[in-house]
Amino acid sequence: MAKKRNKSIQKSDPDQMIGRRDFFKFGSAGAALGVVTVANLPKKVTANLADKKVKDSIIKEHDEFPNRVREDYKPHPSYGTAHGHGFFGGALRALGVNVDEECEEYGKKFIQHTNYDYEKGKKGVDQLSKAVESGAWALANFASGPMPGAVGDYGCMSWDNNDDKFPLGLMGQDFVQKEKYEFEDKKQAANAIKRAATLFGADLVGITKRDERWDFSVQFNPVPPLARKISPMGPKQFQKLNEIGGEGIHHAMESHTPDKWLHDIDKTAGFVPKSVIVMAFEMDYEAFSSAPSCVASAAAGEGYSRMTKVAHQMAVFFRQLGYHAIPSGNDTGLSVPYAIAAGLGEGSRMGTIVTYKYGPRVRIAKVYTDFDFTEYDKPKTFGVFEFCKRCKRCADACPGQAISFDNEPSFEPTHENKDNAFFNAKGVEKWYMDAKKCFKTWGELGNDCGACITSCPYNKPDFWHHQMVNSISAALPGPVHSFMREMDIVFGYGNTEDEEAVDKFYSPKGRKYNGH
Amino acid sequence: MISGELILFFTLGILTTLLIAGLIRLNKVYRFNWLSWLLSGSGIFLILFAIAWSVSSVLEGEPRAASMGMVFFGIPALILILFARRVMMKSGSKKEVK
Repeated sequence: MAKKRNKSIQKSDPDQMIGRRDFFKFGSAGAALGVVTVANLPKKVTANLADKKVKDSIIKEHDEFPNRVREDYKPHPSYGTAHGHGFFGGALRALGVNVDEECEEYGKKFIQHTNYDYEKGKKGVDQLSKAVESGAWALANFASGPMPGAVGDYGCMSWDNNDDKFPLGLMGQDFVQKEKYEFEDKKQAANAIKRAATLFGADLVGITKRDERWDFSVQFNPVPPLARKISPMGPKQFQKLNEIGGEGIHHAMESHTPDKWLHDIDKTAGFVPKSVIVMAFEMDYEAFSSAPSCVASAAAGEGYSRMTKVAHQMAVFFRQLGYHAIPSGNDTGLSVPYAIAAGLGEGSRMGTIVTYKYGPRVRIAKVYTDFDFTEYDKPKTFGVFEFCKRCKRCADACPGQAISFDNEPSFEPTHENKDNAFFNAKGVEKWYMDAKKCFKTWGELGNDCGACITSCPYNKPDFWHHQMVNSISAALPGPVHSFMREMDIVFGYGNTEDEEAVDKFYSPKGRKYNGH
Repeated sequence: MISGELILFFTLGILTTLLIAGLIRLNKVYRFNWLSWLLSGSGIFLILFAIAWSVSSVLEGEPRAASMGMVFFGIPALILILFARRVMMKSGSKKEVK
């Protein structure tokens, strides 16, 4: 009937005929509507599909750890780092360790500068920026204390897996449930773990098997067990507690003699970890653009505070599922290889992980657990190592010249401190960073620097065009990588020591603090 | 929530449609040969890409990347389009439009 009616219109009234021009108009409108509809679905269908296609073609999954590891590789003790020697020199001497005095000196300088010093009128390191930095670090300082220096089992990062409920605790939920929760299948378990981690605040999550190669050979903790629970407190409170507690408290503190400072994971935690949940936390792009500065350190500190919070929450989550857990930041094991194994990203020239979404601008926390009924993630690569061979922007930007300029990675350090590189875990194919030089710069700056992370071409805000460039870069051979590096400079990305970046961080332009 | 990125892609959708429609209309006036199609198509793609890149760079707070985007993608786009115009004027014979 409708067809007939149209025909009759065409025949009877030429003005009402749908001519080719009109049809074109309608067609254009329809096409526009179609394009607009497609363009309006970037985060739902179109972009997800395109993104998946690109990712599938660029990201390669591996069954084994993607970097070659020599057979004679041995993990080093948790104190065998520039931080360890820098911050715990006295304690290490009591253990009979030959302490690197230069590192110790850098550590003292760093503590003085980072805790107490600021420069009046100097952007990024003035009292304001120092205050932002201190606020950002506050939770980590309070709740996980020496964790950044690879000392775990402190405060929120407690290894205590209490089997019994604490009868006086109003909110005593941190205990291991007697009943073990049973998931329907491994996929469901992995999803639940990852969902919990992202709810608590992790930006990326991966699950891998515990690999003792990446655990420190021995765990170092000079903090007396009681102080791990009641810290931090000022000298006055400590004195008062001593008075109240009398000999008991004093004895508890004094009895933690050096012979009790070294321990291994399984014995101390009281269980054998089988899985490691690795979580990455994005650090603020704008804050990091000002590196090296207290503002960039604030972004790092905020990352540490979130690491502390989420690792603790995840540990309680596992304990409530009926399993044991160790929340961990820089302590217990090497975060970068664990993150690689859990498929969060690739190793890089500067030694940090480079993730697909946030590049190197992340911090990493882990949770060791005996829960193993879960799907494990596989390591993934997407061309970072190849790109690093030619880029070297981080090495150029490093104020301490601590990053290797070697074209190819190696199994041993090649830097000038290579003969006393106690801080390098030798035997893994990578670029070896001179942590001592890096730490020296920290001591001079009084902050966490971060120039390498800022300068990296993978350090970009999460926008489509950067993912596109990264994908092209991964698909194309070496000489293109050199071109990409130059273009990154020309386009103005990755600048360090940029005072304008500090202004931009504080600028209210484009921000809505009240949400409307 | 309407974000800058969403508005950008919405506008790009409209622009793409209009530019393609314009090309088809021009093809009716001038008979395009393969070179005209190639040059004008590439030019339009690059123009759209330059807009997308530069607006995205502004949105992410990188003004230098935005201006360099215009230089590196916008200028070649204009050159391609001008060249395409020249080719279509030269090779294509003008048809009468009814």
